[in-house]
Amino acid sequence: MDTLEETAGDISASTKPPLRVLVIDDDDCVCMAIRAILSRRNGETAIAPRAAAGIRALETSRFDIVVIDVFMPGLSGLHTIAHIRRKSTVPIIVMSGFRLRQTPGAEDYFAMAMQRGASTWLRKPFSPPQLIEAIDRSLAAAHFTGTLTQ
Amino acid sequence: MTLPDDLPAEGRAREDASAERSRTASEVASAIAHQLSGPLTALLLYVSDLHTNSDQFPDDNGEGLPLRQIAEQALREAEFACRLLQQIENTCASAFPEQSDIAHGRKVIAWWSRATTGNARPADPEAASAANATYQLLTRREREVLRLISQGLTNKEGAMHLQICPRTFESHRARIMQKFKAKNAVELVRMALHINMPADGNEKTWLLPTPTQCRAESSDGNA
Repeated sequence: MDTLEETAGDISASTKPPLRVLVIDDDDCVCMAIRAILSRRNGETAIAPRAAAGIRALETSRFDIVVIDVFMPGLSGLHTIAHIRRKSTVPIIVMSGFRLRQTPGAEDYFAMAMQRGASTWLRKPFSPPQLIEAIDRSLAAAHFTGTLTQ
Repeated sequence: MTLPDDLPAEGRAREDASAERSRTASEVASAIAHQLSGPLTALLLYVSDLHTNSDQFPDDNGEGLPLRQIAEQALREAEFACRLLQQIENTCASAFPEQSDIAHGRKVIAWWSRATTGNARPADPEAASAANATYQLLTRREREVLRLISQGLTNKEGAMHLQICPRTFESHRARIMQKFKAKNAVELVRMALHINMPADGNEKTWLLPTPTQCRAESSDGNA
């Protein structure tokens, strides 16, 4: 029964090694849903409910991509991105329901995240195609910069 | 002579109070929108996936609405709810608390639910001490299960969290309800509200690098 792979098939064919994704979000229902969606598309998802746990996980294991929420108790997503960028070039997708920051100047959280080194952003709520597309896009971008720097 | 000074002051106080009220109202709205964005994201992800794979649903046998159409309508409604949420977020983005922090949002929601449920929640010392006493009787696992139930997880989600079988989760749940003498889940959660539960369980149980679990899950579909 290969229909699943056929309908999904966006990230990679089933013969390739699974895509390792780290989701950092205190909202566990989002984490579980992302895991459910990716597990059907040859993705392995690790979940960290806090920035600190996510940073630890990144130090101990290798991930192909990180998906992170902006608002979390403790260290915020924006700080975490900056922190990760000091050590790693792993592609980072930032997600949030709220896009604009309160005054002054109503700054854009996503723009701030991109400045700190995020690869792309996803506005919550998002659909599976949007998630897959964001992952594909940031992997492609990372691959491109990788070939440039080599 | 004090009158002219007093009047504007009083007016200013009224204005301050109404500004305060409207600020609180928009903070409540944005806190609720923030809390909604998680579950709605999850809902949209699940429903879209069901819809994408609805060609695998059994063919309709002529009775009632075919599952495929139900999936289609569910997706449409979920998308509509998501659009509504984004509208709310757009209108109250400017009111989103600067120190963003969820902690603040949660406080506002707690305040709000106390204010709106009227006499349902105000401190009931007897119920609280009874609930806390019963809580002490729970095993460590049962406490974890209770925490997950209070967070609104279903049996299946809770079981996935703890990496146990849903049946086991259900039996933990049944035992907790027995201990609390709760007739149903709502009653159980209402009692649990009195308990000073640690907000977060053991963080280690949450960090699940589960390659095996993922493989098990996907092999369910692929086998």
